[in-house]
This record gives sequence, C-alpha cells and structure tokens, in this order.
Amino acid sequence: MALRAARAELSPELINKIRPVTLAQERVLPVPEALLPLFPWGGLPRGSTVGVQGSGSWSLAMALMAESLGSQGWLAVVGAPSFGLAAASGFGIRLDRVLVVEEPGRSRWGAVVSALLESVDMVAIDPDAAVGARDARRLAARAREQESILFHLDGGKSWPTGLDTSLSVDIEGWVGIGQGHGHLQARQANVRAVGRRSGAPNRSVSVWLPGPDGRLVAAPANVSEFRPRLVG
Amino acid sequence: MVVVWCPDWPVVAWGIPLDEPAAVVVANRVVATSPAARDEGVEVGQRRRDAQGRCPDVAILERDIDRESRLFEPVAAALEAITPEVEVAGAGLVGFPTKGPSRFFGGDQALAEQVGLVVQPVLAGRGDARIGIADGVFAARLAARSARAARGHVVIEPGQSPEFLAGFGIGTLGLPHLSDVLVRLGLRTLGSFAALNAADVSGRFGQEGLLAHRLARGEDQHPPDLRRPAHDLAVTWAFEPAAERIDQCAFAAKRWPTTSMPRSTPKGWRVFGLVSRLRPKRESGTIVCGATRALSAAALADRARWQLDGWLNAGAGGRPSAGVARLTLLPDEVVPATGRQLGFWGGRADRADDVTRVVARIQAMLGPESVSVPEWRGGRGPGEQIGLIPAAAVDLGEARPATDASWVTQPWPGQIPRPAPAKVFDDPAPIQFVGPSGNAVTVTGRGDMSEPPGMVQFGRGRWLRVVSWAGPWPADERWWDPLTHRRRARMQVVCEDGSAHLVSIEGQTWWLEATYT
Repeated sequence: MALRAARAELSPELINKIRPVTLAQERVLPVPEALLPLFPWGGLPRGSTVGVQGSGSWSLAMALMAESLGSQGWLAVVGAPSFGLAAASGFGIRLDRVLVVEEPGRSRWGAVVSALLESVDMVAIDPDAAVGARDARRLAARAREQESILFHLDGGKSWPTGLDTSLSVDIEGWVGIGQGHGHLQARQANVRAVGRRSGAPNRSVSVWLPGPDGRLVAAPANVSEFRPRLVG
Repeated sequence: MVVVWCPDWPVVAWGIPLDEPAAVVVANRVVATSPAARDEGVEVGQRRRDAQGRCPDVAILERDIDRESRLFEPVAAALEAITPEVEVAGAGLVGFPTKGPSRFFGGDQALAEQVGLVVQPVLAGRGDARIGIADGVFAARLAARSARAARGHVVIEPGQSPEFLAGFGIGTLGLPHLSDVLVRLGLRTLGSFAALNAADVSGRFGQEGLLAHRLARGEDQHPPDLRRPAHDLAVTWAFEPAAERIDQCAFAAKRWPTTSMPRSTPKGWRVFGLVSRLRPKRESGTIVCGATRALSAAALADRARWQLDGWLNAGAGGRPSAGVARLTLLPDEVVPATGRQLGFWGGRADRADDVTRVVARIQAMLGPESVSVPEWRGGRGPGEQIGLIPAAAVDLGEARPATDASWVTQPWPGQIPRPAPAKVFDDPAPIQFVGPSGNAVTVTGRGDMSEPPGMVQFGRGRWLRVVSWAGPWPADERWWDPLTHRRRARMQVVCEDGSAHLVSIEGQTWWLEATYT
C-alpha cells in the first residue's frame, strides 16, 4: 500500500530513470535459429522497422513474427486484407493474439498504426500508397519509444526512408510437387540481409521456407559467405 | 410500494388465448394457469398429472423465463411514464415506491387507479393486472394477490401492513423449510409468527428466520434496487461560447476524473460504462459506450475524448451543425472496486487490457466493425478456413478456443494440402492459363484436364512457363442449394521463376486465388 502510494508520487520521467538499465543487446526479440547469422545483435532490436522483399517474403515475415512474438506477443495487421492467416497460424503465430484492421482508410491510416504501436508488439503494414515523410518519422519514433516493431510487408517500397532491418528472399525451388502429381510441401530459399543497420550486408543463409513440418528451418548448407568476385 | 402483478403472465407469454385451458409447469408442478383451466379445477402447486386428471384438454407448457421477461418489458416501460424508479422483480411482477407519485396523483387510491389506466392498454386484454399498495414490497405483493377482481386494486393504509399480513398463512413467506417447522410449532399465520420476540427468532432460526420475521412484521428485507444512474458522479460543463474544437471538449473530459473521482474513490467504486451527452446549440447527441472491463480514470478520460472525436469527425450526415454548448459525462454503471495489479516498474502487467483499449480507440475512429479477430472455420479453399469476427464481439482477455487450428475437427474432402498460401486474395483476379496448343486449359466434371498446362499470364504481366503442377482437385460445394452452389477445380502451379500459385477454374474462367509468397 505504502509502496503504491510512494510510486504514485513519482513522476514518469523519474520512473524511467530509476528503471533497471538493460543493454541494447538484451532489448532484442528472438528470431528463428536458422536466421541468426543475419542478425548481428542476436535478434530483432525492439523499436525498429523491418521489411521483407522478394518472392516468398510474406512467408519469411510470418516465420520471423512467430518466433519474435512468442506465446504472449500481440500482432496487428493493418490494411493487408490478403494476409493469409491460415499460413500465419501454420508458421506458429497465435491467432488469439492477432488483431486485423482490414480497411484503415487513407486519411486515418497513420492514426490507426500509431495507436496500435502503443499497445501491440508488432504492427504489420502493407500501405497501398506512399507514406509521407512526416508520417513516417512520427511512426518510426513511436515504434522506438514504445519498443514495438513496425513490419513492412511490402519491403519498405512505400516508405520514404530506409528500414533498420531488411531481408530479401530468393527462391531455390519447391519440393513435393511434380507434373500433375504430389503437392507443394516445402520450399528452399536463400535469405539475405540488405538493411542499412543490418550489420551483416550481403550475408545469406539457406533455409527451408517452410520446411516439411511447416516451420522455417535451416537447410543443410548453412551460411555461405559472400565472396567478392575478381574483376578482370 | 406499489406492486403490479399479472398472475397469468407465464401463460400469456406463450401466446395462448386465456379462454383455452393451459398450465405452465416447472419440474412437473403447476406454477401458472389460464382462467379457463382454473375453472376446470387446475390449481397452482398441483402436480402435472393431477392437473391433467382434472382437465384432460389442458395444454402443458414449460416455463420460459427469458421470454416472459422480454415480453414484459413494455409493461415496465409504460410504468416509467409515472416514475423513473421502476423495478422489475420478475416476469409479471413490477413495483415502484409510492412516495412521489402518490402525492402527485393525490393519494394512494388515485395512484392505483392511474397505474391501472397505464397498464391496461399495454396488456391489451392479455390477462389482468392486479395492483397492491402497502408499506413494504412483501405486503404490497400480498395485497396485489388478494385483489380478486380483474382490474382490482387493494390499498393498505400506511402503518396497517402488519394487521393486513397477520391473517395470511405462514406458507406465503415462500420458505418451505422454515414454514414447515413453524407450522409444526403451531404457528400457522404470519401474525402469530410476527408476535414472537425478534431476538428469540434470531436465536432459533438465524439469519433466514430473522429476515422472514421482518417480512411477517410488514418490514422489508432491504430497500428495493432502483433503476437510477449514479447522478452524483455526473459532471456537466457549459461552454460559452460553444466549443468548436475537439480539444476544448477533450480538455474538459480530461479533467473529469480529477473533479469527479475524489468523491467516488473513498466509496471504492469503479466506473464501467460511460454515457456522454453532448448538447450542441440545437440538437443533442448521446454516445453510449460500454466496456467489458472497469476503466481507470485516465482510460475514462481517453474514452470520452475518443467518443467526442468520433462524433465530431463523423461524415457530413452525422456531424453536429454547431459547436458543443454543453457536455455531460455520466457514468453508466458503477461497481465496487476489486483492485488492479500494476507492473512493478510501471510496465504493462495486463496486455489484454491495453489491447482492449486500443481496439476501443480504433473503433471510435473507424466504426465498431473496423477491428476484427480471426477464427478457424471449416472450408476447402485457403480463404474459407479463417473467418473474421468483430473484435467488439469477443473478450480479448479470455481464452478463445476457436483460434486454435484444432478447433475444426471434421475432415474437409478436397481441402488444399498444407502449407497454406501466405497471400490469399479477397477478390480473385482472372488469369490466362493455356496448354501447349495455345488453347485455354479446361477441366471436365470428373477432374480431367483437356491438356497439360503450358503457360500462364497474371494480369498484364509476362507469360510464364509452368514447370510443375498438382491437381486439379474438383470441389462441388453446396450442391444442395441452388443459390450458393459452386463448382470449381483448384490447382497448384509452379512457374519458371520459382513462384507458386493456387489457381482455380470456375465457369470456363481461370482465377488466381492465392500466392505462396
């Protein structure tokens, strides 16, 4: 009781100051083990912007979200009506922690995303028009201060500035499907880090996306370092 | 207290004409009868078999309290013309205090007649209403019961209730165990029970006996529960000149908890819902906002702000034509506080609360249906397996079994095998899908292709060679219903660039349903 009363008298700034300090490395969300070589901080830094691009990017996004959200994190999907929730569930995203805003509307889009960044851990967006520089700055700042993640399903095409983390997928091929027999079972792909703060430029990993069990797993040949080609 | 009692209401609610013999039973005991059945000798309290023995034609109905209460609501609403403090005690039974209305109409007799005039048109011949006025609810109820005539009323003068009650049998208390003992002790009437010393009754029969003793003496167990909002928590601001901007109203709303809460906090109440009444120059608006959980003072202010925001920024039709002249914030429902656990360092202890708040905020911006949550459903196509329901319809803090894939247990023959595609199109786009001959591929009713797939073109993109494919899987859905019957065949195709798609043919046209991106 006395503690609560004492706490009520403290200003929010002071609470922030006396809050136990955590190192930047500790403020990361877990990522799938197979993707660890692409994340020099050992995970996805909280409060950052993330984008995925290339064919297979949405599957990569779902696998990454599933691991980062864990069993408690909340995900909001804004303005991406084609986001396949059955696939998301297959990658391990808990559907009871998902909010969907199918049509945020052009004029209210920024306000909706900003409100969501305050309360949920991750907001996935797929804007259908370019985001203004002011909106982008505001939303990035909001994500940083709330330690939530803004996930760009379009790879940041509509975003005026670069993203903190950007991943690109190249498809190697599908397994399980033939010429009129079988069905799609697993896909082999290469994932590259291309973001400005990724710290591991041009490093790539080979993964199953999804693997035979529906999750993202490392393909046998794990890390292939980029080797500069000799010119001439 | 005035009590209006409709003795035949359980029968009336079933829509049975009162000149037909009918009886409503609970656990094979008759609880209500129609007048026609009473004439045949069917009585309340009889066993079902005895009732059927007296009157073989009697229609036996099970009691349906929900229906009775629902149909009774207009009667209660009509009485609200006399007083706002109407209490519905049960289906067919409604009461309110006489103090104000009695003085207004010029005495208890006049009030009873007035109540009869108000109730009769609403009942419209569906049974009679008996009216009793006495000091307490119990006495008034017995007075109503003793009003024998169809439109009769019995008024017990103030202070006369104990004498009036003295003659009734002990069974009227409605406590079978207690009255059984009392009868065996030789106390057959309420009067003889009331004559006992209260301390002795308490010593022998405890709390239950004491309450029964209070009833028998013509006192009430407790004052009735009235329909009255907590007026002392309402706060009104007048804006002069009228406020044109949202932040003026919002500032007032922000101050609400600090002006109103200190009075409420010592009592330990939490506010549940919120009604804000806005009074612009000419029209007035009321926004009612319910909450499944109690709100903190700050959340309350936020909510008031969002409501105002949503209202003032509504489309051309909904927007008020003038500024806000008066703003009243009125708590809709208050409950005792049970405490709330906060994170130790001001962290987010209860995420579901936070998320519920943001959902409410977005709903205020975009409308109640704008935020939805997913749920598993049975289905063949990827778009049919997940349904979206409005977030307002669920409690986000509770476990929701339908969000787990194991919720769908029935097999769906023809379902597309896993993994599910990551991009599922709401409105599939038509595509070009041709075989080596250059003609569009067709699929017969038995699932045979006219020729193997060759090339595919999505939209205006370039033509892509199909390197592998699976299917077609025919799906003949809802063939029993001509309106929603759909017949199609789905295929998975992998193109030369490594992209994989789910395509379907329906009515000679190929569609892009989903992409395995």
